[in-house]
Amino acid sequence: MRPRKILRIARWEVTKNAGGIDRKTAAVIAVTLLVLGAAAPLVVAQGGVTLDEGFYRVGVDEESPLYPVVESDSTFAVRDPDAELGSDIDLRIRGTQVIASDSQKGQAALAELRSSVGSYNDRVMSAESNQSAAFPVTVTLEYAERNRTTGGTDTLDTNTVGDGTAPDSGTPEDGNDTGPVGDGDSNGTATDGSDGTTPGDSDGTGGADTGGSTGDGSTGGIGGIARGLTGSDAMTGTPSDISPPFPFQSLILAFLFIIPLNFVIQAYGSTMLSERLNRRGELMLVAPVSRGDIIAGKTLPYFLGALLFEGLIAGGVLFLQPDSGSGLYALAAVVPLVLLFLSATFLGAMFARSFKELTFVTVSITVGLTAYAFVPAIFTDVTPIALISPLTVVVRDIQGVAIEPLSLLLSTLPPLFTAGLFFVLGAGLYREEDLFTQRPIPLKVLDSLAGRIHRRRSVALVVILLMPLVILAELVAVAAVYPISMGLPQPIWLGLILLSIVVIEELAKSLPVYAGFVHNRYDRSLRSALAVGALAGLGFFVAEKGLLLVQLLGGLPDVQQAAVVSAGPTAGIGPAVGLLLLLAPLALHVVTASTSAIGMRSGRQGYVVGLTAAIVIHFVYNFSVVMLVV
Amino acid sequence: MFDDVRIAIARRDIASLSREKTIVLALAIQVFIAAFSSFLVVGLTSLYDPGSVESGELTFGVAGDTRTQLEEAAQEAGVEVQQYPTRAAAREAFRRGEVVGVLTADASGDRIAVTATVPDGSVQSTLAVVKARDVLEALERIERTNRAASLETDPVPLPPEADASSYFGFTYTVLVPLLLFLPPFISGSITVDVLTEEIERGTLELLRVAPVSLTDIFDGKALGMALLAPIQALLWIALLTVNGITIQHTLSLVVLVSAVALLVVVLGAVLGLVLGRRRQAQLLYSIIALGLFGAAALLPEHPATVAAKLAVGSQTTVTTATVLGLSALAVGLYATTRRYVGSIDPEQY
Repeated sequence: MRPRKILRIARWEVTKNAGGIDRKTAAVIAVTLLVLGAAAPLVVAQGGVTLDEGFYRVGVDEESPLYPVVESDSTFAVRDPDAELGSDIDLRIRGTQVIASDSQKGQAALAELRSSVGSYNDRVMSAESNQSAAFPVTVTLEYAERNRTTGGTDTLDTNTVGDGTAPDSGTPEDGNDTGPVGDGDSNGTATDGSDGTTPGDSDGTGGADTGGSTGDGSTGGIGGIARGLTGSDAMTGTPSDISPPFPFQSLILAFLFIIPLNFVIQAYGSTMLSERLNRRGELMLVAPVSRGDIIAGKTLPYFLGALLFEGLIAGGVLFLQPDSGSGLYALAAVVPLVLLFLSATFLGAMFARSFKELTFVTVSITVGLTAYAFVPAIFTDVTPIALISPLTVVVRDIQGVAIEPLSLLLSTLPPLFTAGLFFVLGAGLYREEDLFTQRPIPLKVLDSLAGRIHRRRSVALVVILLMPLVILAELVAVAAVYPISMGLPQPIWLGLILLSIVVIEELAKSLPVYAGFVHNRYDRSLRSALAVGALAGLGFFVAEKGLLLVQLLGGLPDVQQAAVVSAGPTAGIGPAVGLLLLLAPLALHVVTASTSAIGMRSGRQGYVVGLTAAIVIHFVYNFSVVMLVV
Repeated sequence: MFDDVRIAIARRDIASLSREKTIVLALAIQVFIAAFSSFLVVGLTSLYDPGSVESGELTFGVAGDTRTQLEEAAQEAGVEVQQYPTRAAAREAFRRGEVVGVLTADASGDRIAVTATVPDGSVQSTLAVVKARDVLEALERIERTNRAASLETDPVPLPPEADASSYFGFTYTVLVPLLLFLPPFISGSITVDVLTEEIERGTLELLRVAPVSLTDIFDGKALGMALLAPIQALLWIALLTVNGITIQHTLSLVVLVSAVALLVVVLGAVLGLVLGRRRQAQLLYSIIALGLFGAAALLPEHPATVAAKLAVGSQTTVTTATVLGLSALAVGLYATTRRYVGSIDPEQY
C-alpha cells in the first residue's frame, strides 16, 4: 500500500476512467435534477404522495354529523348514500347510524372511520373555549421496571417513588398543547428530562393524520421520540397523545442515511465490472502497483463521495432536529455501513458475469443490507439486540440519547470486520484468471476462499478470518428469529436459534476446507481430510474462544452477549466452569469439521451428506448442553 | 422474417437471464422485499394490536379517587381491570406481575389526572400503552359527554367497533403497488444493461453484421424486457389470490403494469443508447425513474393509488382514464423512440 500510488489511481478513477462523467452525462444529470427539483415543491404543495386517497367509498348525506369527518379524511370518497352497498359504497351513513358492507373491505372502512372520528373530535375539541371540558382527562405515562423473580421490596425502581399521587397539575391550563409540556422528570437524569420536551409535532391535533397511509402508523407522537432507552421518561398529554415507544421519526431520518449509498454503489459496481470487460483491467494489473493499491485507489473516490453525502445529511438532520446529539456518533456509525455497502458491491462485481447479473446483485445488496441496518433499528427502544445494526446508533444520536462508547464499538466492529473480509475475498479474485473469465458464482466463491489457502494449516487461518461474517450472520439470524419466536414455546424458538447458528458455523468451517479440496491444495486421503478438518475446527475454536475472552473481560450487554456467545454453549457460565467446559467445544468443532471433511472427499454430494451429519451432531450437542444449563 | 429476428433477440436475452439464474434471484429479491415490508407492518402491528398475538394476561390495576369512572371506561374499552384500594397496593401487584400496568386516577381541578404506569423496555410495554390509551380515550369520551353542557359543539359519536384485519389497508395500498411496480422498475434497469453491455463489449457490431437493423435490435430487447414485467405481475396476483387476498380487475392491472413497464423500458433504452456506458446510464436511470414515480403525484391519481384502487375495487373514472392515458403515452413514446433509434448512426458505438 503506497499512498501516492493509491491517490494517483483514485485521481484517474475520477477523471480518466473509461467514460468518466463526460459533458453530455453531466448536462443530462443537471437537467434531470433541475426538473425534479422544480417538481418537488409542487408535489409537496399537493400534500405529498397519498397512496390511500379515496380508498374507501362512503355514502353519506350532508346532514349527517359524520359528514365533516368523512369529508376531511382523504382516505374516504364521499358518495351518494342511496348507492348500492357493497358494489358501489363500502359504508352507508344515515344520521349517526353506520352500516358497513358485508366484506373485509367494509369492516376495514368501519375501523378507519372509527379512528378518523377520534382524531376529528380531538381537532374540534381543541377549538373549544372551555378546554377543561374539551379535554377532561390528562395522562402522565411512566415506565417502570418490574422484577417478578426477586422478592425484595427495594427492587422497585426509584423513579416510581418520587412523584407521588399528585401528577403535575401545571399542565391542565392549556390542555390542547400539541407539544407535550416538559413534565415532571420522575427519574433522575437531567438529560432525559429535557428529552421530554421534544416536539410531538407530527402527531398534532391539526390534521396531520390525514396523510397517513396505513392508518395507525401515523400517530408517531410524543412517546416514540421522547422516550429514550437509558431511563424511563414520563410524558404527559391527552389520552390520544400517548403512544407506544416507537422511534418513528428518527427511523425515517435514519433511512435518509441509507438512500445515497444505493446510488453510490450503482456507480461503483459499474466501474469495477467495466474493468473486467474486454480485459480493460489488464493494463492496470501489469503496471508496477499492487492489487491492494488498485482496489484501494478505485474505491477511495466512492468512499469519500459517500461520506460527503452522509456528512451533508448529518448536517441537515442536525439543522432540523436541534435537540439531537452531536451527529458525530451518527457519522462514526455510518462509516462501517458505507464500507459494508462498498465491499459487498466490490465482491458482487467480482462475481457477476454480466451487467444484468450485476444489477441483480446490486439490488440484492441494497435490499439485504438495508434490511440488516433497518430492521433491528426499529427495536431501538425495546431491546438491546437493536445494537446489532449501526443504524441504531444513528437513531439514538438523532434522538439525542447518550451513547456509550462500548455500544458504539459493538454495533460498528462486526460490520467493519465483515467489510474487511469482503474486500480480502474480492481481492483474492482480482487476478487475471478470475477477472477476465466467466465462471459460475459458486465456483468463484470457492476461488475467493482458495485464494488464501496454500497449505493445510492456512485453512485454520481462513476459518478465523471468516469469524466476523459468522458473527454478523448469527446476529442477523437471532434478530430474525426474535420477532417470529415471540409466540412460540421456549424449546422451539431456542431450537430455531440454535439450528440457524449451527448451520452458519458448520458452513463457515467446511467451505474453506471444501475450497481447498476442489483446488487440490491437499490430497484426498482420509488422513489428509482428518488433518484439515481438525485444523478448521481448531481455527474456529480459537476465534470463538477469543471472543469469549473478550466477553469475560469486557462484559458485553446482555442480549448481545447471548447472541454472540450462544455460538458456544458456555453462555452464562462463570469463568471457572467455563474453563472446565473449554475442551468439550474444541472436541466438538474438530469432530464436526472432520465429519464434513471426510464426506467432501467424494465430491459435492459427499459434502452435502457430511455437512448434514456435522450439523446434526453439532445441533444435538448444543441443544442438550443448553437444555442442561438453562 | 423481421418479426422472427426481433423475437429471436428477445428470446436470447430472456434465455440468458434464466441461464445465469438471475431471474431466480430477481424473484427471490421481490419475495424478500415483500416479506420485508410485510414483516415491518405485520410485525409492528402485532406489537400494537393485542388481538393479533397471544398476549396472555392483560389486566390493569386501577387505584385513586376516581377509579370507578376508570372502571366504567375500561368496561367500554373491553379491558379487564382489578381494583386496588391504594396506589401502593396496585404498584405492588404490578411489581409481582399480577397486572400489566397501573392506572391511577385523581381529580385535579376540573379534570381527571391519570398516571399510567407500564412495564419498561419490554415487548409488553407497547401493548400496555395501547391498551391504556384505549381505556383513557374511553374515559375521555365519557367525561366529554358528562360535560356536554360546557361544550359549544357536541363530539361526533363513535361508530361501532369493527372486526377488521389491521393489515387490510396496508395490503392494498402498499403491498400490491409494491409488487406490481417492482418488476417494471427492474425491467427498465435490465434494458439499460442489455444495451450498454452490447455496446461496451463491442458485440453490438457483431449483431449488426447479421441482417438486422438497430431498430430491430431495439424492438427485440425492449419487448423482451417489457413482457417480463406483466408476467411477474400476474404471478404475484395469483400468489396473493392463493393467500386469500382478492385482487379485482386483473386485466386493468396487467394493462397498467404493461404501460408502466413499456415507459420505463423506453426510458432505459434511450439512456443506454444515448450514453452508451452502464455507469452513467444506470445512475441516471434510477434517479429519473424514482423522480418520475414521485412526480407522478402531480397526476390526478398516482399510479400506485390507481393500482390500489383497481385491486380493491374502488375505481373511479379518473382511475380508468389514468390507465388509458398511461397506455397511450407508453405506446406513443415507444413509437417515437423507434423513429429516433432508426435515425441513430450505429457506427458511433
